[in-house]
Amino acid sequence: MATANPTTNAEYITVITPHRGWFQIPWREIWQYRELVWVLIHRDYVATYKQTIFGIAWHIVQPIVQTIVFVVIFTYVAKVPTDGIPPFLFYFSGLMFWRYFQDCVTRTSNTFTSNGALFNKVYFPRLIVPISQMFSNLFGFGLNLIFFIVAYLIYEFQGTHVALSWKIIVLPVLIFQTAALSLGLGCLISALTIRWRDLAMVTPLLLQLWMYASCVVFPFSAIPEDKRWMFIWNPLIPIIEGFRFAALGRGTVEVWQILLGAVASVVVLVVGLAVFHRVEKDCLDSV
Amino acid sequence: MTTNPTRAPIAVSIEGISKKYRLGVINRQMLSHEIQSLWARWRGKEDPHSNVLEEDRDTLQQPRDFWALKDISFTVAKGEAIAIMGKNGSGKSTLLKILSRITAPTEGRAVLHGRLASLLEVGTGFNGELTGKENVYLSGAIMGLTQKEITERYASIIEFSEVEQFIETPIKRYSSGMRVRLAFSVAAHLYPEILILDEVLAVGDASFREKCLIKMDEIRQSGVTILFVSHNSEQILDLCSRGVILHKGTKAFEGPVKEAVSLYTESLHLRGLHNPAFTPPPEGKL
Repeated sequence: MATANPTTNAEYITVITPHRGWFQIPWREIWQYRELVWVLIHRDYVATYKQTIFGIAWHIVQPIVQTIVFVVIFTYVAKVPTDGIPPFLFYFSGLMFWRYFQDCVTRTSNTFTSNGALFNKVYFPRLIVPISQMFSNLFGFGLNLIFFIVAYLIYEFQGTHVALSWKIIVLPVLIFQTAALSLGLGCLISALTIRWRDLAMVTPLLLQLWMYASCVVFPFSAIPEDKRWMFIWNPLIPIIEGFRFAALGRGTVEVWQILLGAVASVVVLVVGLAVFHRVEKDCLDSV
Repeated sequence: MTTNPTRAPIAVSIEGISKKYRLGVINRQMLSHEIQSLWARWRGKEDPHSNVLEEDRDTLQQPRDFWALKDISFTVAKGEAIAIMGKNGSGKSTLLKILSRITAPTEGRAVLHGRLASLLEVGTGFNGELTGKENVYLSGAIMGLTQKEITERYASIIEFSEVEQFIETPIKRYSSGMRVRLAFSVAAHLYPEILILDEVLAVGDASFREKCLIKMDEIRQSGVTILFVSHNSEQILDLCSRGVILHKGTKAFEGPVKEAVSLYTESLHLRGLHNPAFTPPPEGKL
């Protein structure tokens, strides 16, 4: 483990030792490398969207198309209720959070396997990569949020009154919770994937199933009362239903569920970061 | 010998560094296989995923320890340039990786006084889709510079690399020589207190190599401590004042560079290392 202590500009001492604690995450060092987060985000966007037609508009086009598909299948064909909320807004709101969660987990879980070559040649705190993923995807989330507001206003002007309450103030907390949960989970999976490569294949499948368990395509109120205990473990339900309640006026969520979800997110974050940090030093011996 | 020959302040202090790898551990990379193996062993049956070349299939292959580095100690004074030599497999790159914090030592410790930059490869972090300019900023940031520092040194970086004309073109369109020149140019402008070079002065054509050597010498004269791994005796003699020879993971020699180079060159020609000043430890100890 290395600790860096810049006492003065001239005396910058680093001690390299074999041992690494579980919780001694080098926050100061990560702060020193903060510009790298931005540089990596820039790299991801520019490299991905150069020579494409739509560029970053893809971040909005994909969820819109997905929402339309859901509206057609779940509302018109299967006639799944949407709590009285206009179906388009219902599905889009769920997808917004879900896609952020899914993108973060998927990309972060590949940290060691896809960056092996880079990690082998230069040192920087490895946590920088998942952190930059988190902010990078936040940008996409932001675009979705803007589109959501636009769609919302269109519905308002058309007369379909959707009740926006002051509770929307809780939106930053919901975003923070989603980010913490996905960062922690992504870090945990990436650490385990070093040893067991097939986890990388299982993750997308698990996420697919998880989506269907997260009230993205049906409201919590549609679950029969006696079956609701089966969904308690899922911290994404209070987040999505909470957002729907705050922004659209209809959502089933109770305070204790939100608190439980928040606690779960923090626990997952702490565990994920600790495992990631522990594994970091020797990761290249096994990758 | 681990004493500091000059009384100058120390830049790098390596104390008993050792690095062990475990060979022969059957690293089952599939979780499903690992579970199957555990299940089979628990039942007392044969492990379906053990090494198929194993002669005796009733026992598991014994894991062995391989010491890539064993008890390496030396100090480097501030402003000194020291050469690290050794045959392939002697542990040079492992030592550099440990000092660069890419991997952790198994035993021992090292203390670095000052910012360290290592060039283990040219073009670290380069992304083909981005332009030369974007890559300068990317690579610089990955290697520890702030955006402000890069902007300050940008003109000098581009001038040194001689690719000014193509700086706004994606580097996937560059020739390999251009890539290497740009990459090295970024690295040459890092200005750390300690610099580690792993055989990277062998890049580019002859005139560029000379430019690089001159630049490295400038850097050394400005007080930067250099650890230089190379097989090239000429470059070593030009740049360094002391030399360390590694042999199969142990330190076999430490002393003035001329002696080190001649010892090392001799050792390459003879089958064993018969020079009396060169004493590798007995084989059994490794």
